[in-house]
Amino acid sequence: MSDLGRYMYAISRALDAEHLVATRGLAGAPLEVVQHRELAAVVSTVDLGEYGEVALRRNLERLEWLEETARCHEEVVRAVAACAPVAPLRLATICLDDEAVQARLKEWYHALNQVLDRVEGRLEWSVKAIAPGEGSGKSAEAAVAAQVVAGSGAAYLERKKRQSEDKAAAEERALMAGEGMHAALAAVSAASRRLPPQDPRLSGHQGSMILNGAYLVEGDKEDQFQDMCQALDAIHPDLLVDVRGPWPPYSFAMMEQ
Amino acid sequence: MSVQGTTATRASVPQEIALVDLLDRLLGTGVVLAGDIVISLSGVDLVQVRLHALITSIRSDMVEPS
Repeated sequence: MSDLGRYMYAISRALDAEHLVATRGLAGAPLEVVQHRELAAVVSTVDLGEYGEVALRRNLERLEWLEETARCHEEVVRAVAACAPVAPLRLATICLDDEAVQARLKEWYHALNQVLDRVEGRLEWSVKAIAPGEGSGKSAEAAVAAQVVAGSGAAYLERKKRQSEDKAAAEERALMAGEGMHAALAAVSAASRRLPPQDPRLSGHQGSMILNGAYLVEGDKEDQFQDMCQALDAIHPDLLVDVRGPWPPYSFAMMEQ
Repeated sequence: MSVQGTTATRASVPQEIALVDLLDRLLGTGVVLAGDIVISLSGVDLVQVRLHALITSIRSDMVEPS
């Protein structure tokens, strides 16, 4: 029999544990709430044979396990978000017992309250913009090709030079477009962050991700935010604009340490 | 595995988060309260872990049909 630990999903405030009875934790375990003053950590018991340090290293490398754990973590966060402010914890935050959980709530009491103040009544939206890689250069390339009759060496070099200039200009335009979009979206958000562009091998996108933005949007400003997304999509017909949400405020639950 | 597509979509109702977006957030952001079990993989290491896991899976997905 392995030792047991407490897996922490999220921190909340003034949380009624009754709202969580319909949701299960990892391996089907019931969710429990560990309190310190008004702060509440949502936890469940896990087997350290699966969630201990050694096992975690191995399991995090297994996509199936990682996905299952991440999805369960997400479901719990959603259930909490439905009834109280929520600060999601990073995947695989595990304490040995409830005393250790409480010690963290006590230690980070003010920082956690600040985080909950920041995210309360707000949800996260994701906006990505993708500049199709090859497509944008094609019309310019075709134009040059049309001008160049039966390529001499000089014409070839000239064409190469133009292509390289076009590419640099396109990259510059994409960079500016990404910055402009982010600024416009940030202006209708309570907070915003730019996440690193995703690896195309993971996301499946083609071209370059010029914006992977996360936006914390006030509940009554969602229409305004979506209007802005639509307007940006309209003025950037050359970009793929991908809008997703609303999600719990994952990207805005960082503590200022 | 759900990998997010690149089609432009308009969301007005809560959507499921694509795994790649979820991992961006669960591994890259969120409150960091070091637990008693610390795999000390904050940041870079975790990104590599998940990249390794996902790429391995994507590769095997691509191999399977042939």
